[in-house]
Amino acid sequence: MALLTLASPSRAAALPRWLGLEGLVIGGAIAALVVLVVLPVLSLVAASVWDKGLTGSFFATALGSTANLRALGNSLILGAWTGLISIVIGVPLAWAVSRTNVPAKGLIQLTATLSYLSPPFLTAIAFVNLFSPNAGVANVFLREVVGLDVTFNIFTMSGLVFVTVLHTFPFVYLLASSALQSVDASYEEAAQILGASKLRTALSITLPLVAPAVLSGTLLAFVNAIALFGSQAIIGLPGRVVTLPTRIYALFDYPPQYGVASALSLLFIAITVIALYLQRAFLARRSYVTLAGKGARPQLMDLGGWRWALFALCVVAFVVAILLPYGTLIAVSFSKSWGLAFWQNLTLENYRFILIDYDVTRRAILNSLMLATIAATFCVFLGAIISWIDIRTRLPGRKLLDYAALIPLGLPGIVMAVALLQFWLKMPVALYGTFAILLLAYVGRYVPLGVRAANSSLRQIDPSLEEAAQILGASWGTRMKEITLPLIRPGLFAGWLLVFVPVIQELSASILLFSSESITLAVAVYNLYETGYTEPVAALAIVNMIIIAVAIGIARHFGGSRIGLKTGG
Amino acid sequence: MATIQINNLSKFYGSKEGGAAVSGLNLDIRDNQFVTLLGPSGCGKTTTLRLIAGYITPDAGTIRVGDRVVSSADGVAPPDRRGMGMVFQNYAVWPHKTVFENVVFGLRLRKVPAEAARRKVLDMLAMVNLAGLEDRLPSELSGGQQQRVALARSLVVEPGILLLDEPLSNLDAKLREKMRTELKQLQRRTGITFVYVTHDQAEALALSDQIAVMHGGELQQYGSPDDVYRRPANKIVADFMGIVNFLPGTVEAGPNGLAVAVDGVAVPAPVHGTLAAGQPVDLAVRPESVRLAVGEAGTGRLAATVTDMTYLGNLVEYWLQLESGTALRAQTHPLERFSVGDRVNLSIDAADCSVFPRAGAAH
Repeated sequence: MALLTLASPSRAAALPRWLGLEGLVIGGAIAALVVLVVLPVLSLVAASVWDKGLTGSFFATALGSTANLRALGNSLILGAWTGLISIVIGVPLAWAVSRTNVPAKGLIQLTATLSYLSPPFLTAIAFVNLFSPNAGVANVFLREVVGLDVTFNIFTMSGLVFVTVLHTFPFVYLLASSALQSVDASYEEAAQILGASKLRTALSITLPLVAPAVLSGTLLAFVNAIALFGSQAIIGLPGRVVTLPTRIYALFDYPPQYGVASALSLLFIAITVIALYLQRAFLARRSYVTLAGKGARPQLMDLGGWRWALFALCVVAFVVAILLPYGTLIAVSFSKSWGLAFWQNLTLENYRFILIDYDVTRRAILNSLMLATIAATFCVFLGAIISWIDIRTRLPGRKLLDYAALIPLGLPGIVMAVALLQFWLKMPVALYGTFAILLLAYVGRYVPLGVRAANSSLRQIDPSLEEAAQILGASWGTRMKEITLPLIRPGLFAGWLLVFVPVIQELSASILLFSSESITLAVAVYNLYETGYTEPVAALAIVNMIIIAVAIGIARHFGGSRIGLKTGG
Repeated sequence: MATIQINNLSKFYGSKEGGAAVSGLNLDIRDNQFVTLLGPSGCGKTTTLRLIAGYITPDAGTIRVGDRVVSSADGVAPPDRRGMGMVFQNYAVWPHKTVFENVVFGLRLRKVPAEAARRKVLDMLAMVNLAGLEDRLPSELSGGQQQRVALARSLVVEPGILLLDEPLSNLDAKLREKMRTELKQLQRRTGITFVYVTHDQAEALALSDQIAVMHGGELQQYGSPDDVYRRPANKIVADFMGIVNFLPGTVEAGPNGLAVAVDGVAVPAPVHGTLAAGQPVDLAVRPESVRLAVGEAGTGRLAATVTDMTYLGNLVEYWLQLESGTALRAQTHPLERFSVGDRVNLSIDAADCSVFPRAGAAH
């Protein structure tokens, strides 16, 4: 019949499916994940128990030497205190914003977001400028102007906990406030109508509903806190507070102890994975809270005069977490020599030095911009393919692929670097010290963010949209190009920035992998700091923050979605 | 030719013992026909449609289109090489493309020159009453309009076969009825073979040349709307095709051959050959086949009491109780009114009844 003339699209004879574009792309993504994540982790395991034969000596040293045990203990103490204090700060702020009529809720939201995005090694540097026992401006001020005989010493465990909490309390704050907002007022009203007092209602209805979210946020704070190399090196090392990341870093001093470093790294992974497992378990239990969904109508409490007391607490949080460190960094960056005589020695020389005169920082800025751009692009496309395989195909073992893409969440940055070193030093290709190994580290570390971004977009797109194109004769490539990619583009764009921001300031893995040629922004900051260039460091830190601010501005402009869920450091 | 021949088609989910989505399906769909796959959710009708489209590989059996095998357990021609059209339950209109871009998509893939493609798209949009909306985005269209975009997009490439997966289920009742008429006219006009999936028996009866009633992954009956409604092959079909009463009775020999005795009254329903006198059976009676009259039962009429009534506007529905206690639904014209508690006598249009052996009853 005449109608059939148009019916079949003109296409070449069908190739076997695995030879087509679809097969190549899927195969490529699987291979990439294996090379990026699976093989490095396996070689880490191998290096920890193999030295010309099976050996337990590395683990014996890792768990036997006082130095290693102390590092392990310090990391746990740091994580525990940080988690605890994050609750103390995060829960009241979350409650104030979600459940009371406290003024200036936007300020709290801003404080939490900025604290969360600030790289902790920059905050650490800022507070060293204020509270180092001898030269810290705050201490000098107290001694010489006020005349008090008190000296705050930032180089202690308390100092480290303080600086780390400023970065981690938002984890508790964000999860607690979203949980509090999704508890519908009707739950509480139901208790009150039955005769429960406000306190009774809060304790027996609200608290159990939000407790899983709070615990989950606390565990995230714990995991993030112990993984931060920068702040632990900057504040911990001068005070001889050695932690796991700094201890592993030290094991690479000549002569490097690869085996012990690997064993210690695996212990580190074990701690992280256990904490993340518990976190997921807690988070799974809060599913009943979200049942009420977006339409939930939380009950706002009128605090009367007390709201100003709570407001004062919020202002203190803003001042300590944002104003103080960034004010300090900006002030230092414009100083000839950091000290009390600030107004007498203003200069732009530091910016000139790092942006024009000094080739290392110039190179570092360009390197970081380039690496972050490429890594973010890779992560997003790899994430898109992996989540497409998971959601749209019936490929056997696709769940395994999904899990493999989640592994890096359990790998602290420095451990990722150790694993990559172990693997690539054994390979015939010389990658050590190249851009390539940094790129591998970044893509490997942040591929979970790419997968998560693509996953949530892809889940919102009904498979029938692809199927409709397919039955009209569109090949796999056409379907991706015409239908799927355009539809998930906003999600991919958000994911791109989600990776770009932490990579720009990545320090934990870069510190073991860089060379003078491939030096990055965060490494340059750290090295300059180590060599005592206080003022140029601050200028570089400000440049770092400007880059991030521009990136987030672009993100807000295009997507407005919640950007920057995980920062490096 | 756009004929579809399905032979012994099976698709299992999970383990082979676990469950068959479709099992041992045989179906011959002739050219230019409007064929409906009808059944409750989970009956395998959508799986069958997706097997025909090529989204799923069968575990056994074959599907032929014309004389070409397109699906077998060894492999399938992928959907993009079948030249079929499909309309999805959620329309699947691409939200990032305008109406024009949605419809022209298939023509571009077929390398139709731009000007010819444009003309075809505009003609097709006029045909589905969407003229002038070609630059709109789907978000600016109503559900019914989106439905028409999906139809136009499938039809513009002139497929020999159009598959429709519950295309009207997301529309409101009035629009559904309107689209129903338009679909039928469209099928007659284009001569395309329509394979239509629905769980709505009224829709199936109104639209189809042939209905395939499915249940539990198996084909129960394949026939014209009149066949499946008035001569259901089994109790499942009878039950699914609308309201039905199953009256317990016994086969008995009468003066004019076999009949069914219900409450001692012989109903001369068509008893097929495999049933013998004395066998317990269920007599399937549609509510509209029951006629009510006032007064005590005479010969050949069943006595009943009205226990409840529901006014439906164009009909009145009565719940009746026979002497034996069996409950029965009847629908009558609103002009005849009875009240709850009335003693009535019933006559049953025996020719429109079906007789089925009673499950679990001893011979």
